Amino acid sequence: MPLDTSAYSLALLRVDGRRWNELRRIHAQIRTQAAADGSSYLEIGHTKVMCVVTGPSEPGSRRGAIGSTGGGVGGGAVGGGAAQSKGAEVAVSIVIAGFSSVDRKRTARGDKRILELQSTISNALAASLHTHLFPHSAINISLHVLSQDGSLLAALINAATLACVDAGIPMTDYVAACTAGSTSTYAANDEAADPLLDLNHQEEQELPGLTVATLGGSDRVAVLVCESRVQVSRLEGMLAVGVDGCKQVREILDRVVREKGRRMVQEGTVEKGVGLNDMDVD
Amino acid sequence: MASLKRSFDGDPFAANISSKVYVRSTKSGKVQKIVREVYLRQDIPCSSRLCHGCLNTAPKDAAGQAIHFVLSDAPAGTSVFPQGHYLVPDTNALLNAMDLFEQSSAFYDVIILQIVLEELRNRSLPLYNRLIGLTKSEDKRFYVFFNEFRLETHVARLDGESVNDRNDRAVRKAVAWYAQHLARTKARKIPAVVMLSNDRDNLRKARDEGLHACSLTEYVKQLKDGDRLLDLIPETEDRDAAKDKRPGEQNLYPEYFTMSKMMTGVKSGLLHQGIFNVSPYNYLEGSIRVPAFPKALLVLGRENINRAVDGDLVVVEVLPKDQWKEPSSQVIEEEAVTKNENPDAEGNEGFVSEKERKALQEDVKRTQSKTTEGHAQPTAKIVGVVKRNWRQYVGHIDQSSVSQSGQQGRKQDSVFVIPMDKKIPKIRLRTRQVAELLGKRILVTIDAWDRGSRHPSGHFVRSLGELETKAAETEALLLEYDVQYRPFPKTVLDCLPKEGHDWKVPASIEDPGWKDREDLRDLLICSIDPIGCQDIDDALHSRPLPNGNIEVGVHIADVSHFVKPNNAMDNEASIRGTTVYLVDKRIDMLPMLLGTDLCSLKPYVERYAFSVLWEMTPDADIVGARFTKSVIKSREAFSYEQAQLRVDDGSQQDDLTRSIRTLLALSRKLRQKRMDAGALSLSSPEVKVQMESETSDPIDVKTKEHLDTMSLVEEFMLLANTSVAAKIYDAFPQTAILRRHAAPPKTNFDELSNQLKVKKGLELSVESSKALADSLDACVDNSDPFFNTLVRIMATRCMMSAEYFCSGTQAYPEFRHYGLASEIYTHFTSPIRRYADLVAHRQLAAAIDYEAVHPSVRSRGRLEAVCKNINVRHRNAQLAGRASIAYYVGQALRGKATEEDGFVMKIFSNGFVVLVPRFGIESLIRLRDLADTEPQATYDAESYTLKTTGSREVTVELFQKVRVRVTDQKDETTGKRGVKMELV
Repeated sequence: MPLDTSAYSLALLRVDGRRWNELRRIHAQIRTQAAADGSSYLEIGHTKVMCVVTGPSEPGSRRGAIGSTGGGVGGGAVGGGAAQSKGAEVAVSIVIAGFSSVDRKRTARGDKRILELQSTISNALAASLHTHLFPHSAINISLHVLSQDGSLLAALINAATLACVDAGIPMTDYVAACTAGSTSTYAANDEAADPLLDLNHQEEQELPGLTVATLGGSDRVAVLVCESRVQVSRLEGMLAVGVDGCKQVREILDRVVREKGRRMVQEGTVEKGVGLNDMDVD
Repeated sequence: MASLKRSFDGDPFAANISSKVYVRSTKSGKVQKIVREVYLRQDIPCSSRLCHGCLNTAPKDAAGQAIHFVLSDAPAGTSVFPQGHYLVPDTNALLNAMDLFEQSSAFYDVIILQIVLEELRNRSLPLYNRLIGLTKSEDKRFYVFFNEFRLETHVARLDGESVNDRNDRAVRKAVAWYAQHLARTKARKIPAVVMLSNDRDNLRKARDEGLHACSLTEYVKQLKDGDRLLDLIPETEDRDAAKDKRPGEQNLYPEYFTMSKMMTGVKSGLLHQGIFNVSPYNYLEGSIRVPAFPKALLVLGRENINRAVDGDLVVVEVLPKDQWKEPSSQVIEEEAVTKNENPDAEGNEGFVSEKERKALQEDVKRTQSKTTEGHAQPTAKIVGVVKRNWRQYVGHIDQSSVSQSGQQGRKQDSVFVIPMDKKIPKIRLRTRQVAELLGKRILVTIDAWDRGSRHPSGHFVRSLGELETKAAETEALLLEYDVQYRPFPKTVLDCLPKEGHDWKVPASIEDPGWKDREDLRDLLICSIDPIGCQDIDDALHSRPLPNGNIEVGVHIADVSHFVKPNNAMDNEASIRGTTVYLVDKRIDMLPMLLGTDLCSLKPYVERYAFSVLWEMTPDADIVGARFTKSVIKSREAFSYEQAQLRVDDGSQQDDLTRSIRTLLALSRKLRQKRMDAGALSLSSPEVKVQMESETSDPIDVKTKEHLDTMSLVEEFMLLANTSVAAKIYDAFPQTAILRRHAAPPKTNFDELSNQLKVKKGLELSVESSKALADSLDACVDNSDPFFNTLVRIMATRCMMSAEYFCSGTQAYPEFRHYGLASEIYTHFTSPIRRYADLVAHRQLAAAIDYEAVHPSVRSRGRLEAVCKNINVRHRNAQLAGRASIAYYVGQALRGKATEEDGFVMKIFSNGFVVLVPRFGIESLIRLRDLADTEPQATYDAESYTLKTTGSREVTVELFQKVRVRVTDQKDETTGKRGVKMELV
């Protein structure tokens, strides 16, 4: 069994060989499902998620929509704050595959943890998507977790953002997310602890951490979730590192989108539009 | 549909990502396959001060601090590597010979590979922690190189390659990389990179690849003081060779079960797991308490004990009923039975020697002669060891096991080491320095205990000095009880106030130190302690209130003001746990400056204190309690004797004396209330050794006198502790640090109560502490005033020991302190010498909103760890204190012979134990000590009577008063000077 997180101080290396300010390898694709309105696939290290967006469309019966094909997890979170008549509702449903973690687990119906993830994502996206353009309609975001290795919420938010871009829903900016942590435990109360960027599963288990999402490259925080105990003095450092990480994530997401756009123009799937003028197509 | 398959081709980082796959099994027996990412990089420095390339790319932490380089630019050389060298040990080298690496004469500039560290951690956590300690030490220059994360040294496991082979290959690759890397530095003298391994195959492969590689023995021989260090290399190294030599060697012990077989057996209830305890009187008998049975299981005989050592966590199998036996009523000492064994001749003389067989025979005879089935106890045999509890043992070389040639030459010789602790079997040791080590106290460790070897084999660690010298015996004692006695490191001393002894309570009330402190300098406070006490924890006062009630205050040194949570001093104190008092020495928990000066509530000076103030009626009923941080000025520091004189002297009518008289009157009433509630008054034989003031040689032994002023202080401390316990439990129901004393299981008293019934016709009722207290009071023998004390001493030994715990781990009814008959209790009154009190201080300070609660004081996991540690430390400190007294009593009696009264406490079929209250010692008198030729004896277990006939005729009964002659004698088995008693 490898060393645990307490070995960091020996050589400033984390359990997987990264430094404190390094992201894991992020790999993303969009338009992975031709039949869907929008789709994406995203990996952060060994965390692998997939997203399919349907809509904006007429809000049919809630059972028939794609949001509830998830099977294991019923229903979806509805967000947006706006009344139904004013803007589109954003429904998120998450399915965590039984094989996604080390031990095969069945997620219970109405698992509170999943409900909370759904509403967090729904609220975050509703703030960025221009839902007022689509009154009386619904946007169904369906997320599938294939493999888990920490930073799950961040991966889900990033994948949902990409899928919404693919679906062509107007939005203010990317909602980019990542996690941040601290190198020593709460009880150790070590003043000199370094902040950490992008926690993997082992680090999430052993160390305090938080998930942060920002609106594009700005410092505007869209999501901040902290479920562990941490000294308030360390919070500022963790947040700064997290926000900085979000900017890096935004660049990666943006690259993926532009690359796909360039390929599609080349292949002639889409015409080079006005908006694509500034794009280097050749 | 687009493919989701990850395309590595286009990714520039792909080559740098690898993964680590391993399989682990969980506690519940599930097998999990874990896949972890590994990011390979090229900026992991070599940490050699010769290398400038690495220095430029050295990693920085979040604060921009680069890690400093460890390995010296001019490392020491050996006879083979005159240019200097760096060492790269493999896991086995560290596992076998950690003691070598901790030497201060050699083993500097060592590169610890990540893979080695990981393997070590999986094999032995204590060794891992020792190694981490070495990497943190400034002068040893140990560097951890993360070879698995460096691109050049990362090794992927090949098809069909075993994990061990892969790890060995990784070590060799890292050594090769280091050699190449250093060669590029163009330094004038490039140090050799030397791999240390005991694996012959690995060594051969390394040499084939052109690397420097040595076995531990080869390497140590190159060093200057190699001969001395050679002894530190454990036995196991030559084991392979030895095996080849003696293929026909028979296995003496049954083989252990495999771990999985044991675990499934325990789970299904067929096998039982527990801690193995050896009987203090008989080395061939042990017992194991397992959760499944109320009574302990007996383990009898060498074959059933099967290489377990006292304290090991073992798995046992219960034997069939026809093999159940009574616990032996005989004393069997290893030394007497195995005296003439030859350490070199292994296994040739049959497994169970004739003499041992004879000793066991007696038992069998007895069990078969009596058909009282009911007396037989279930027995068991050990089928495996889950966890060894081997530590370092203090002992001395058995003179008789040394051959003549061994005393002269420097030939390697096998000798036996007899550990001080009688429960540990003798250890076979191979050394070249027999002549030097004879007659010394030495420290050894056990390395292994093979099936083919009668005794465990070990290696020498270091010598403590001549037997029976004060320095050696004291150090031996401290090591034996695991007391941290090294001077405080600089990091700890740095936490002390800068003013040193000149520190004073700030004069100005505006100073932050005065914040929320009450000014109690006007109160007539005094302290009462033993003579010569320097660390004064507590002081008291009382004064009449206008409403006729009395205000009583207990003032405790405010240690938490000086020791802040989680700094180096706090950590050191939490490890030490308690101050240890030996007869001639005190091992402090906190540095002297705090313990004897700044915190100590010395008279005539102002000190910070933590005060508990009660309002009491003259009948000692509590009206209200209040807690506050304060500043006090003690008027006088009394000794118990001085205070007693002052109280008894009617002419003294000053306010201070009057207030002590008030306290005394109140304390009597408090005591009465406690007794009515069922508190036990227990007893242990306590004596005091008087020393000559100049040479500090012991001259006399006195039993401790009991004064009223002692119970005065005791009562108010108990009251303060109880009040504080209730307060902190109220504030922190989950995390308060408390002390409990569990009610003893009834079966503990079975034997004593039977003995009392048979011998004296007395009943011992044990339903509650109140019933026990009353029946103990009734245990009087009019002809013998000491009898009651004797019964109390024996009853005390049937009790459980009190323990610290964190309130969240127990239900409220379990909080009870049985001995004190108090619902809730903690330790608050001695923060200078006990860590638990310091934690209680912090919790109380938070409970009264004096300061914010510190996370370490609230974290339950951490508090549990603290409690576990201080429980052990507390027990060890007590044992060490007693052992120290025993040693000095022996020294005080040296060359004297006195006749004293003694009492028979325990009877065996071949001897009995006598307690001499005058010296607080107990000793065994064997039948063969009674007369020159051992008399015949009949032992009647029913009536606890031993009758001897033949060369000397005496009848010895339990509880009997006997006259004994006490002389001193050096105990050959333990090398300790003790007392020897003869029946007169």
